[in-house]
Amino acid sequence: MPLLWPLLLSAALFGVGVYGVLARRNAVLALMGVELMLNAANLNLVAFDVWFRDVLVSGQVFTLFIIALAAAEIGLGLAIVLRLFRAYGHVDVDRVGGDPS
Amino acid sequence: MGWLSLVVLAPVLAAAAVWWRGARWSEVEAARVGVGASAVSLILAWLIWLTRDASAVFSGEVDHVWIPALDVHWHLGMDGISYCLVLLTTALSGLCCLSLARERTADEAGQPGRRSLLVLILVIESASLGVFTALDLVLFFICFELALIPMWFVIAGWGDPHDPAGRRRAATRFLLFTVLGSALMFVGFIGIAWQADTLQIDALSVSAPAFTGTLNTLLAVAIALGLAVKTPILPLHIWLPDAHAKAPTVGSVLLAGVFLKLGTYGFVRILVPIMPVQAAQIGPYLAAFGVAGIVYAALACLRQSDLKRLIAYSSVGHMGFVALGIGTLTASGLTAAVFISVAHGLITGLLFFLAGWLKERYGSSDLAALGHGMYRRSPWLAVAFCFGCLASLGVPGLAGFWGEMLALRGAYEVGPTMDRAGAWTLLGIAALGIVVTTAYFVGLIRRLLQGTPSPDETIRHLWSDDPQPGDQGPDDSGRIARPQVTDQLQEAEDDGVVDLDREQGIVTGVLAVSVFVLGIVPGLLSGTIAQAMPWIVGGIR
Amino acid sequence: MIGLTLVIVLPALAALVGLAAIDGIEIALVSVGGAAITFVATLIVAVPRFGTAGPVGGSWGHAWGTLNAPDVSFALRADSLSAALLLLAASVALLVQIYSVAYLADDPRYRAYASIVSLFSASMAAVVVADDMFVLLIGWEMMGVCSYLLIAHYWERSDARDGAAKAFLMTRTADVGLLIAIIVLGQAVGSYRISDVLDAVAAGDLSGSTITVTALLILLAAIGKSAQFPLHTWLPDAMPGPAPISALIHSATMVAAGVYLVARMEPLFLASETATIVLGLTAVITMLIAAAFALAQDDLKRVLAWSTVSQLAYMFAALSVGSVVAAIGHLLAHGAFKALLFLAAGSVAHAVGSTAFADMGGLRRPMTWTFATATIGFAALSGLVPLSGFFTKDAVVGAAYDAASGGGEGPAPSWLAWLIVVATLFTAVLTVAYATRAWRLVFSGERRGSETAHEVPALMRWPMVVLAVPTALMGLAVVRPGWLAGSEAEPVHSWVAVTSTAILAGVVAMTWLLGRAGDPATRLGPIRPVLAREFGVDAAYNRFIVAPTLAASGLVLATDRDVVDAYARGASSGAIDASRLLRLAQSRNVQTYVTVAVLGIALAAVVAGVTA
Repeated sequence: MPLLWPLLLSAALFGVGVYGVLARRNAVLALMGVELMLNAANLNLVAFDVWFRDVLVSGQVFTLFIIALAAAEIGLGLAIVLRLFRAYGHVDVDRVGGDPS
Repeated sequence: MGWLSLVVLAPVLAAAAVWWRGARWSEVEAARVGVGASAVSLILAWLIWLTRDASAVFSGEVDHVWIPALDVHWHLGMDGISYCLVLLTTALSGLCCLSLARERTADEAGQPGRRSLLVLILVIESASLGVFTALDLVLFFICFELALIPMWFVIAGWGDPHDPAGRRRAATRFLLFTVLGSALMFVGFIGIAWQADTLQIDALSVSAPAFTGTLNTLLAVAIALGLAVKTPILPLHIWLPDAHAKAPTVGSVLLAGVFLKLGTYGFVRILVPIMPVQAAQIGPYLAAFGVAGIVYAALACLRQSDLKRLIAYSSVGHMGFVALGIGTLTASGLTAAVFISVAHGLITGLLFFLAGWLKERYGSSDLAALGHGMYRRSPWLAVAFCFGCLASLGVPGLAGFWGEMLALRGAYEVGPTMDRAGAWTLLGIAALGIVVTTAYFVGLIRRLLQGTPSPDETIRHLWSDDPQPGDQGPDDSGRIARPQVTDQLQEAEDDGVVDLDREQGIVTGVLAVSVFVLGIVPGLLSGTIAQAMPWIVGGIR
Repeated sequence: MIGLTLVIVLPALAALVGLAAIDGIEIALVSVGGAAITFVATLIVAVPRFGTAGPVGGSWGHAWGTLNAPDVSFALRADSLSAALLLLAASVALLVQIYSVAYLADDPRYRAYASIVSLFSASMAAVVVADDMFVLLIGWEMMGVCSYLLIAHYWERSDARDGAAKAFLMTRTADVGLLIAIIVLGQAVGSYRISDVLDAVAAGDLSGSTITVTALLILLAAIGKSAQFPLHTWLPDAMPGPAPISALIHSATMVAAGVYLVARMEPLFLASETATIVLGLTAVITMLIAAAFALAQDDLKRVLAWSTVSQLAYMFAALSVGSVVAAIGHLLAHGAFKALLFLAAGSVAHAVGSTAFADMGGLRRPMTWTFATATIGFAALSGLVPLSGFFTKDAVVGAAYDAASGGGEGPAPSWLAWLIVVATLFTAVLTVAYATRAWRLVFSGERRGSETAHEVPALMRWPMVVLAVPTALMGLAVVRPGWLAGSEAEPVHSWVAVTSTAILAGVVAMTWLLGRAGDPATRLGPIRPVLAREFGVDAAYNRFIVAPTLAASGLVLATDRDVVDAYARGASSGAIDASRLLRLAQSRNVQTYVTVAVLGIALAAVVAGVTA
């Protein structure tokens, strides 16, 4: 398949992910956006790795790293969101900050 | 380490001891420890001076490398000027501790703990002694700053008990003003040290090349501004009245007696010897602002309604003479600066002690609240206050006169900084300031000490057959309503009168006697100052 | 030298020791004893100065250490001029201390009073024997301080407080002139010794402008201290002080110190025509207006105060024509009779309870001693032959006449000298008038007022009697030639003697006739209120000096609060506003932060791409 199609898909996924991080009010959905961005980067890496036909398959190895890191990061992020919910009663990022009422 | 280091560190060691012993020492015992530490410093300084080598400029010199990477030395030395100011600092701090070395009276029961106050006083004393003996620019600056921080706590914590927000505001304003000034001063110091590659004051003034150029003028202005805030010189004086109004008695005494001298000392020790050319350029402005300050402060005192603010403004006036003296860059003027500093420390220290005791007793330093006739209500306090006022207005025969005379003479001699017209104009305006100073002190005595005694009812109704509630004057026929003394009046004199207690009496006596002695034998002080003069004016070409 | 130092130190010691005294008897012993010992010491020091032994002096050399060149030292010197004033001061001080024992017998503040009077004696002695100008200045100002404290002795009274404040403020303003003159002279001559200064003047070392300026400044100080125009208004307002104080300070010693200063610095004045003219004019104006004011007063002590001002002007007039001996002769005579008159006024006040004429009258019978001595005093004031006032006042007129007709010394232009002659004669007329009026209002006629009068106790009587002796006889001493070293005594011009006696006789008669129906001053008609208001000089001072100063004070306080403080408050509010502005960046919204970060990265990528 041409290299362009996975790249386009990855760019689209990344854009959707950025939109999610910047514009979604719900903190969980913002974190999903982060996941989308990470996976878009993964797709990009795999596509280029196949195209380069790297002997060490470094792109795909890097992708495995990112999957692990993303899992760790989402675990931490969701823990923070949980604390946020416990303190404020909601996870609306526009409304948090200052004294928890 | 040297005896001079012990002179500087003895009070802070005593502070550490008081803090460590905590409640195991009573307040009176802790205060006595403070007095002892100050006495130790004073006696050691005196001994160092007695046994000094007459050929050396600085006696008791101590020089160790402290921070090698920055070439900062623990460099202490004492010349004539330092010695006078060290004596003044130790004496005033010792007297402050002595005034606290008594059991609390009934109206002092609610005040916060005195041991902490003593610790703060002793730290301030050590830092000031460090400033007066430091011969390394960074050491000078460190001690300069170190003296400020405890004073914030003193004013904010032990100040006016009726106005917590006000005293915190006054303390913060004082701190911010002086720290800003010190920062500017430090910039100047770094600039100098970077050019001359040394931080030692004696090396800078003797062997360093003369500083020239715009950069050095700016550095000198920065240093001058920083010191001018401390002195204080108009228009940077605005922190002083508020700080004094809200400070406790010992805080005011230390502020007026020791703090203000730090600024003067900086001028005489650092600016004039190290940067004589720039000092000559700045001199006229310094003198002009100083003289403006004399008249401005005197006018501000005329209608002042708060006693401590009035004395604070009178300090600004005295420091105006100091600025005039320094600005002329003559030997007379510089001697005047140091002489006034010492004399002012003693005189205004005395006035602030008395005003502070009045405030503690009556709860306010507002003249309307204090009433009239203090001669009757607290005879010895009133007499001492009258003495202090007379000394402060510069009556010849008391210490306040000689410094003012020397400053005027410095202005008359013109010196290398100004032309004759300018110098003599300043002389005339300063003389006018003396007249207004007399006016407000006379007005103060008339308002506070004289007059029908109030508000004590018992005494008033026994006093003469004239039952008017207001002032006594001659009635229409011009009769002298001469007071009739009866046995009742004699008793009232003993019963209704609250006067100085023993420690307060000792403090008052020591200060009054020293003011008197310096008034009739000024050579004691001026001779000591003269020892240092050649080194200071040597750079003025 | 030791004697001179003792004359200063002994009264100061008496002042100090007196503070420790406990009851009235101890205070009296210390104060009177101290004054007596001082008097003896003064005799020992002063009397030889009138003989062939010349001036004596010395200095406690380096007692004052360096105050940078020129050096200040404790230098003293006494010649016959100093000796004359020392004797006057010491004797009057002793008599006043004795008088005060009885006058202030019931006063709870007698101890402070006696100490301050002793301190005053020390200061006066310091002024008179000083050779170093700073010793003189210290004594001069300490006298002012003592005067201030003593006038305010009855500080419950508002007129006492006001009078004391006014006296101190006016004299201190004038004293600043003396301080500047000393500094100028010190720089010009290279020494602060009076003897060095006078030598420099004689040798012509000083420039004309220096001499004129310093002479005028010294004159300013003398005008202030001796209550001459335009600083004349403080002396009558100082009368609420106790009468012995008025006798000591405000007639015999402190106000005479101004005359002494000018007499001591006479060569300086003689070398400057401007200063001489100013001195002469001041004297002429003062003697006339003061005598006129005395005529319109309702209070005995105020009459005497204005009389003092007028008589001091006589002395200054004599100095302006260069005759030190006439001036000092009149100073001594005036010291004696004015002190006597003030003590008599004190006795009258002690007896009737006030010093207003409205309470007096007909006191001749109950108070014989007072009447007798006061009569001698008034007669001397008027210049009755052969009392002291006659000789000394006529000596002043004679000196002026000699200067006018070209036979005298000094650079006083002859118009000035003629003016002085006329003014002194006219003042003599006024003097006899007010003296006679006062004498009559107090002692003759009907007894007004309610209290029964009685003669005063012995301790108050005898000082007055003692003072009556020199009042009567001193004239014979001061006409002897050469009693004051360096000058011949003025011969008594016969025409002056005749004229003054004629004036005396005529004016006494006229005042007596005018006064038969009551107070002669009522005949003054519409002029009287003008005189009683003293030409409104005080009101002018209030309006043009005091009120603007107080207004300036208010302005300064407003400036401090609104202008200077505004910068401090503005700095703090500016910092707070800037902080608020910056806080907008801390929106607590994570997405805003990330948006900014993303935009920044995009920008950086574009820049990197473009510049690569």
